[in-house]
Amino acid sequence: MAGRGRIFALLALVAVLATACGGGGQASGASADLSEAKIGFLFVGPRDDFGYNQAAFAGSEAVAAAFPDHEVLTQENVPETQEAERVMEDMIEKGAGIIFATSFGHLGPAVEVAKRHPEVIVLHQGGLEPEPMDNFGTYFGTVYEPVYEAGIAAGAASQTGKLGFVAAFPIAQTLANVNAFHLGARSVNPDVTTTVVFTSSWCDPAIQAEAAQSLLDQDIDVLTQHQDCTKTIVETAEAAGAFSVGYHADASALAPGGWLVGSVWDWGDLYVDIVQTALDGSFVGSPYDGDFRVGLRTGDNPFVLTELGPGVSAETAALIDAAAERFRAGGSPFDGPVADQQGAVRVPEGESPSYQVIEQMDYLAEGVIGEIPG
Amino acid sequence: MLEAVLVGAVRGGTSILYAALGETISERAGVINLGVEGCMLVGALGAYATAVSTGSLALGLVVAVTGGMALAAVHAFVVLERHANQLAAGLGVWLLGLGLTSLLGQSYVGRGVDGFANVPVPGLHRLPFVGPVLFDHDLLTYASFLAAPVVWWLLFRTRTGLALRAAGERDEVLHAYGRSPKRLRYLAVLSCGGLAGLGGAQLATALAQNWSENMTVGRGFVAVGLVIFAAWDPRRAVAGAYLFSGAVALNLQLQARGAGISPFLLTALPYLLVIGVLALFARRRVHAVPEGLRKVFESGAVS
Amino acid sequence: MNVASLAGAVLVAMAIFSLFVLARGAAPLQVLADMATSALGSRRAIGEILVQATPFVLAALATALPSRAGLFNIGAEGQLVSGAIGAMAAANAIGGGLPTPVTLALMAAGGIVAGALWALGPTILRVAAGVSEVISTLLLNNVAFLVLAWLVHGRWKDAASLGLPQGRDLATTETLPVIFSQRVHLGVVLAVVAAVVVWALLRFTGWGFRLRAVGGNPEAARRAGLPVGWLIASAMLTGGAIAGLGGMIELAGIEGRVRPDMLVGFGYIGFLASWLVRHHPGRVVAGALLLATIAVGGNSLQLDAGLPAASVNILMALVLLAVLGRRGRAMPGVA
Repeated sequence: MAGRGRIFALLALVAVLATACGGGGQASGASADLSEAKIGFLFVGPRDDFGYNQAAFAGSEAVAAAFPDHEVLTQENVPETQEAERVMEDMIEKGAGIIFATSFGHLGPAVEVAKRHPEVIVLHQGGLEPEPMDNFGTYFGTVYEPVYEAGIAAGAASQTGKLGFVAAFPIAQTLANVNAFHLGARSVNPDVTTTVVFTSSWCDPAIQAEAAQSLLDQDIDVLTQHQDCTKTIVETAEAAGAFSVGYHADASALAPGGWLVGSVWDWGDLYVDIVQTALDGSFVGSPYDGDFRVGLRTGDNPFVLTELGPGVSAETAALIDAAAERFRAGGSPFDGPVADQQGAVRVPEGESPSYQVIEQMDYLAEGVIGEIPG
Repeated sequence: MLEAVLVGAVRGGTSILYAALGETISERAGVINLGVEGCMLVGALGAYATAVSTGSLALGLVVAVTGGMALAAVHAFVVLERHANQLAAGLGVWLLGLGLTSLLGQSYVGRGVDGFANVPVPGLHRLPFVGPVLFDHDLLTYASFLAAPVVWWLLFRTRTGLALRAAGERDEVLHAYGRSPKRLRYLAVLSCGGLAGLGGAQLATALAQNWSENMTVGRGFVAVGLVIFAAWDPRRAVAGAYLFSGAVALNLQLQARGAGISPFLLTALPYLLVIGVLALFARRRVHAVPEGLRKVFESGAVS
Repeated sequence: MNVASLAGAVLVAMAIFSLFVLARGAAPLQVLADMATSALGSRRAIGEILVQATPFVLAALATALPSRAGLFNIGAEGQLVSGAIGAMAAANAIGGGLPTPVTLALMAAGGIVAGALWALGPTILRVAAGVSEVISTLLLNNVAFLVLAWLVHGRWKDAASLGLPQGRDLATTETLPVIFSQRVHLGVVLAVVAAVVVWALLRFTGWGFRLRAVGGNPEAARRAGLPVGWLIASAMLTGGAIAGLGGMIELAGIEGRVRPDMLVGFGYIGFLASWLVRHHPGRVVAGALLLATIAVGGNSLQLDAGLPAASVNILMALVLLAVLGRRGRAMPGVA
């Protein structure tokens, strides 16, 4: 009786070896010729999360519209584990020649896949290349610029001088966002504090509601966030009569009373340009074949500030414009001096850190309340 | 800060409380339902999707309870008619609920609903401390305050409750009175599904006012653990549910004040407490297990 | 329990699944065909099934062996995780100076010990105080993931990952070699070997015989003078050890680093795989392969049909419920 199961297993192994030796099965990878290649997109969450993944999905739709001859494959809810590799391999098997891995935690799997398939171009959203590779590149916008500008609006609007930030994980991008937001607010009100809470989840609406409420309980009257799905926190703030600063998505319709400003992704142009470069055969050696960052000083930041809400005064709007000008001229939200919570100077006076430095930030700025969990 | 933590505990614990009450009823009758997580998901999607499509929250609740009961009925059938192992069947039901809600809920993700808003009880909610903790919540949470004593009363003060508990302890007695243990167990399991569905509904339409795949994230399994923690007493289930969600709220409140304890330690605390209690008071707890359930745990799996 | 009956259950499950697919506006036959091609249509895909089945096999064995002694080990979920943690701890302790086979053997030992340790608490509670192992192992599953999260956010957080909570990359000496098609690693073979070993232990050794005696009728076994407590303990601890090995294999074979989401659900699916084949260790591989095929087929649901990948759980659940639903024999004590 038990033997039957073992025979099954043995048969399976034999079948596998047979196909291995026989060299059967489909070609495991697109050829270097991308003229028929499909384009694959991975998302860590659902396309309707009203946030990060929705923006990336909209970008994929822009690609589909711009390249009608290249089918676009998408998969949502791809976990940040080795399963992501499997998904990418599936896409490659179905003919994908260009793959966009859009979540931070997909970096490791994306690198593995890129190494295994030199003929496929793999792009990662948000990470940094561990080593130079011809067929791999990362891209991102300098998110901290509009976040700094939003901080200005928050600092000006807050009556209590206390701001709140609901974060997910203490990754460098998030810490940079918290600091940028705080520094922007500080430029308007030097005594302002920003309290940060980490939910340890990219999108758990119940915990988000709790986290938002815990901040509101502290007399905080402006809430912002770095989460994948953004509705709950905005709605919680609105219900409590507090101001909202959005992230990833324009939630102004959800907070008619308290919406100050937000920042949204507009990936379409960047995605399309990357694909075009790849299809033209000029990927290797292009700016995309590396760590591509675009911000106000170099071009069109895909992360843009939304329209200012009714609660933002004209003076504040002028301050925001001034900041944007400063960035276009080469400045940065983290222009020195910037000190951490212990008072140590992390960016000396007169220095303007590069994005590589910013994207490895591992501290919270002076005036930020909260600890990096661990 | 204690007040804020308790408010958070009550707010976050309602869904778990409903599920734990339902599971208590089921286990008291001798049927353990590991699929309660699936019933919660079905309830969450049912309430949410109905509210989004029809605008009626009341109808949403009806769908949530019915849906939870329907999924629980699968568990009941497989266990009571086909004598399947309760643990395996429960896990199967969980997977079924997870898959179904992922599939059917795909088009409802992120739609946003006008859910149950907080309804402060006039006057009472201004009472210091007690006011915000007890009197400033949504309707389903208020209902859960009543649910626990009602469930206790039903189980311990009514004939049906007695019969139900007998089904879980000594079903031979029921035969003598001409009552069918199987029918009582069906009643118990369906009640579990209905209550869990209500818990899911509260999660989706009151707390988060949103739907996403697998949004219960293990709360149903927490409820199963809490029932054991509570020694199958609905009153203690209340303490358990709030203890658990209180730990979550405490973690966030501490962070908001700049003090940090490892959130994982805090979240693990209720589980470790249960195990600690089990270890220390093993003899007493062992006697607290409904007999019928103990037989389920001990009946061998050898074919 | 035979292959035909299992096949019948799969067909019933596919039929019901098709109804739900229809309800979502997709064409069921096309969907199922795509899933089949996607899961079975290439060397790589079959390799993925083998890779996915490996932790299922070990978790199923961790369920099957104790079940022979009448125990329900539903804790494979947590024991897999503690095995991964134990293996990582061993790798960290070694520090990279030893050759690959030695490192891997020590990591396996770490996983085995950690898995057994995770089963120790429930074992003691059961043997010394009669507390059901169902309760204790179930609760510890959640705790295991919390311990993993704590480690991954804290002392094991990879400095090179820019703050993303995950452990460091495993070195080549700490990784199971790939034996086939890019991702199929040695652990696949180890899983099959483990199944054969467990089968042989239960079938041919005195210990296996005594375990079955305890499982069949504990009272009679006790009266016959068998040391029931020790036998139960050995069964539970061995089960935990097997699952611990599974955790090590998943870490060193395919994940390559500890991640907070690793192994989620694998223990429960392994538990179900064991149930599908009535806990026969020899057939556990078949059950695991079936569930792994379904799991891997889920990718195609999204890529080809636009349906959420998690819908594949419906199919898995229906297969299980169909198989469970065929049982006719009443268990003692459940009317």
